[in-house]
Amino acid sequence: MSDIAVRVDHVSKSFRMYHERNQTLKAAIMRGRRSVHEDFWALDDVSFDVPTGSTFGLIGSNGSGKSTLLKCLANIYQPNKGRISHFGSMAAMLEVGSGFHSELSGRDNIYLNGSILGMSKKEVDRKYDEIVDFSGVEAFIDQPVKNYSSGMYVRLGFAVAINVDPDILVVDEVLAVGDADFQAKCMQKFVDFKAAGKTVILVTHDMGTVSKMCDNVAWLSHGNLIEVGAAEPTIKAYLDTVPGAAE
Amino acid sequence: MNYLKEMLSSRELLANLTLREIRGKYKRTIFGQLWSLANPLALMLIYTIVFAFILRVTPEPGDPSGLDVFAVWLLCGLLPWTFFANVVTAGAGSLVANAGLIQKVAFSRIVLPLSLVGSSVYNWLFEMGVLLIVLVIIGSFVWPWIPLVIVVMALLAVFGAGVALMLSIANVYFRDTQWFLSIILQMWMYLTPIIYPASLVTHQSNEIGYLFGTGLTLDFVYSLNPMTHFVEVFRNLLYDNRWPDPTEWLVCALWAAASLLIGVLVFRKNEKNLAEAL
Repeated sequence: MSDIAVRVDHVSKSFRMYHERNQTLKAAIMRGRRSVHEDFWALDDVSFDVPTGSTFGLIGSNGSGKSTLLKCLANIYQPNKGRISHFGSMAAMLEVGSGFHSELSGRDNIYLNGSILGMSKKEVDRKYDEIVDFSGVEAFIDQPVKNYSSGMYVRLGFAVAINVDPDILVVDEVLAVGDADFQAKCMQKFVDFKAAGKTVILVTHDMGTVSKMCDNVAWLSHGNLIEVGAAEPTIKAYLDTVPGAAE
Repeated sequence: MNYLKEMLSSRELLANLTLREIRGKYKRTIFGQLWSLANPLALMLIYTIVFAFILRVTPEPGDPSGLDVFAVWLLCGLLPWTFFANVVTAGAGSLVANAGLIQKVAFSRIVLPLSLVGSSVYNWLFEMGVLLIVLVIIGSFVWPWIPLVIVVMALLAVFGAGVALMLSIANVYFRDTQWFLSIILQMWMYLTPIIYPASLVTHQSNEIGYLFGTGLTLDFVYSLNPMTHFVEVFRNLLYDNRWPDPTEWLVCALWAAASLLIGVLVFRKNEKNLAEAL
């Protein structure tokens, strides 16, 4: 295994901002093929490497391009320029409970969600007990998930996602789910994950989480990479630019 | 080739999503799967009253089966049509309906429209099963034809899947597609010999002769509609109990292959941009 888990190489991503969008057939016919737009560069020439076995944080204010970068990493968006290579299997957790069907039971949804996240039936079979145990909803596992409380719903979703067990895990701000007890369990899971030599890339606004969990941090602002390096100094440099965030 | 591999690797996901559709569809209804029959039966009732009793449409008795029941004759064409219409309508909306999922998880997007094809096939099998029982009861010797019925069902499913793939992409960029579609499907149904026999069209065509001084006849233009061929084959097998014309088989197979090929190509070209376009 190489020492680099993910290489982000001169990645740029633009979105079209439409002034006049041909989203109806009428508009398309009346105006011909022209649709008026300008490009908005959500990511502009971003490059960094994520070392294997480290926990890597993406920080920056709202609209800095963190989530866009995360979606590029998760293979949901295609970068316009540059490329992202990863060494080892990758799974992304941008939302918990994706694809849950509210009328189906928790059990059915575990299998459904697991296969959406790329697990085979055998893998889910093998991890089923662990998933149910982790989510703490054993008593309700045969109930339709629409009857779950929102906490149970996200816990079940999170339990499935965390058990995908990839080499590289990409996480959006989904850590703040469940009660304190469950959060502690999640943190422990990430610690185990890291101890197993796996890589985590996460986005969060909670600097406490970042400094507690991350070894390295990349700081983005308006689509540009400002700084990348060890967690403490980078977080400090970032916080220094945020007025009123004295710590 | 790579694409084929990717699709093969997501067959389990396809199966799970299909099950999601099937299980979720009639949940919490009293009649459950029977609802799948309600729509075709209601249509059968209306069309039989209007076209058999009021307008007096009289299709030829089945040859050689000798069957002469309008309602059953109608169903042999109507069930394949309602299946096709369901696949196309549901498939066209599938990407937009799952926008949230597409924007949050990376997976082979093609399974979304295909899972709806799968769940429609399931309902259709159920309906066709009931039709088979009815056919046997009224004395059609349908057993030997069942393997061929399954072949043509597969061809129609492939044809429908291809159209659904194209329309699902079109609907992402132009939401008008789904509204257009309901109108087009209505017209399309009347352009297909479902509630009247195709022989009536041939009859008219012979009276009119060549259209507008071109070398084309009405019958030829009519036969450009792929569904006329599918319905013909279904009726030959189920109602008449005879071998359909080999050219009909060929036409159905070609339409199915062309539709799937174009559908997959269109889908493949656009699937990378779906998360942004939605």
